[in-house]
Amino acid sequence: MDNPYSTLGVSPNASNDEIKKAYRDLARKYHPDNYVDNPLADLAQEKMKQINEAYDEITKERAGGSSYSGGGYSAGTGGGTSSSGAYSAIRTAINRGDYAQAEELLRSAPQRDAEWNFLMGSVCYRKGWLDDARGYFQRAVSMDPNNMEYRQAMSYMGSNSPYRQTGGSYPAAADPCDICVGMMCMNMLCGGCRF
Amino acid sequence: MFGYVRPLFRELKVKEYHRFGACYCGLCHALRRRYGVAARFILNYDFVFLAMLLWDAEVDVAYDFKRCAASPCLKKCVCRGSDALDRAAGESVILAWHKLEDDVRDEPFFRALKARLARLFLAGAYRKAKNDLPVFDGDVKAALAALAAVEREGTASLDEAADKFATLLAGSADGVQDGAKRRILDQLLYHVGRTIYIIDAADDLKSDLKAGRYNAVASRYGLTDPVLDAETKAAVKQTIGDSIALISADIELLQETKWSEILRNTVNYGMPEVAEQVLSGTFRHTNERFYRRNLNTIQE
Repeated sequence: MDNPYSTLGVSPNASNDEIKKAYRDLARKYHPDNYVDNPLADLAQEKMKQINEAYDEITKERAGGSSYSGGGYSAGTGGGTSSSGAYSAIRTAINRGDYAQAEELLRSAPQRDAEWNFLMGSVCYRKGWLDDARGYFQRAVSMDPNNMEYRQAMSYMGSNSPYRQTGGSYPAAADPCDICVGMMCMNMLCGGCRF
Repeated sequence: MFGYVRPLFRELKVKEYHRFGACYCGLCHALRRRYGVAARFILNYDFVFLAMLLWDAEVDVAYDFKRCAASPCLKKCVCRGSDALDRAAGESVILAWHKLEDDVRDEPFFRALKARLARLFLAGAYRKAKNDLPVFDGDVKAALAALAAVEREGTASLDEAADKFATLLAGSADGVQDGAKRRILDQLLYHVGRTIYIIDAADDLKSDLKAGRYNAVASRYGLTDPVLDAETKAAVKQTIGDSIALISADIELLQETKWSEILRNTVNYGMPEVAEQVLSGTFRHTNERFYRRNLNTIQE
């Protein structure tokens, strides 16, 4: 493995606070939440692993080898699946990255319920058809407003959009459930890592 | 392409601004060296972005001081040639050529005169570029044919129309050998292409509606009026923003190079700004000259 200091982008003389800050910034950048449903999530996970290892190594080294090495950001596996039998084959195809097959199975499915829309949205999102994806996710949420998985998909989508950060011209609607999801994410952040 | 992918210059550090300038000049010199004087005129920001993306992290950036036709007295700092610059140069020639071909085919005879003339000048350059990058040339031809078919059908899906151009642009990473980098660039460039296509459609809305041509934004939102209402504007911005969010996440997965900060600036500030300008109809006015003139006066 590379020098842990260069992995974190700090000099070997950096103070503990500097290292912690660099670690935090990088961990925020590569956090699984930023790569939900992204076909490149595995690469982000790999980066995250390197960062965690580098940080562990440095803290251990600095504490004279007595530091604990648990924790670190965990790479979540994304939302839980609550699939009803007919859709499990489609979910498997999506997870395998075989979007063409997933789409074909979806098109031949007899009914168009909330989960169908959600899965179709997932396929579109991963293919990069974001406008269609948003439409399907919206339909899934409106058909089954209590399903957290569908709501999460909506709120993750474009959560880093430049037009959200600047606020101003394009305010996002304050949906009470978005706040819920936000709190859940914050919880994950605080509970799953060391600060 | 169209010059929509550019950094937001006022947010660049001075060293990054000059480095970007050197890369811009470097691409121009690569065009001249490989494809002749005529090819210089197709230089634009999009391909500077592409060259910076394709840049191999192992290859150091070197500079020369050179005069050129645009700056005959003062020597300018120019990025020395590299594989990435050569590739971006070749791909820009091929894309420019096929765009001219399209214009000649689609426009009425007299309107297409300019395109015919330009094609005449570019023919030699295209022959060379096609020789250098035969696979890319074939892909572009196929993708543009598919795009023309989709547009003829008049699809109402913004994504279906954008997909063809996005796939075409993703193909510009053809030469990248490293598997992981290739995967990242494929997705990243797909969304750059998608963004360019949608921005371009929004930009051409007025002329397309007037000429009765297909326009992806118009048919997606059922527009007959070239002035966008607030709701449609927000929807277009949202879907562009979704693509930019993905590009922004993907760019962090690439290995750090001398260009990383400029690329981040381009994606996180430049692209949203251009989209904003196009949607508010101010894009043409704030061009490069505006930035150069105001470079010293903007104090933030």
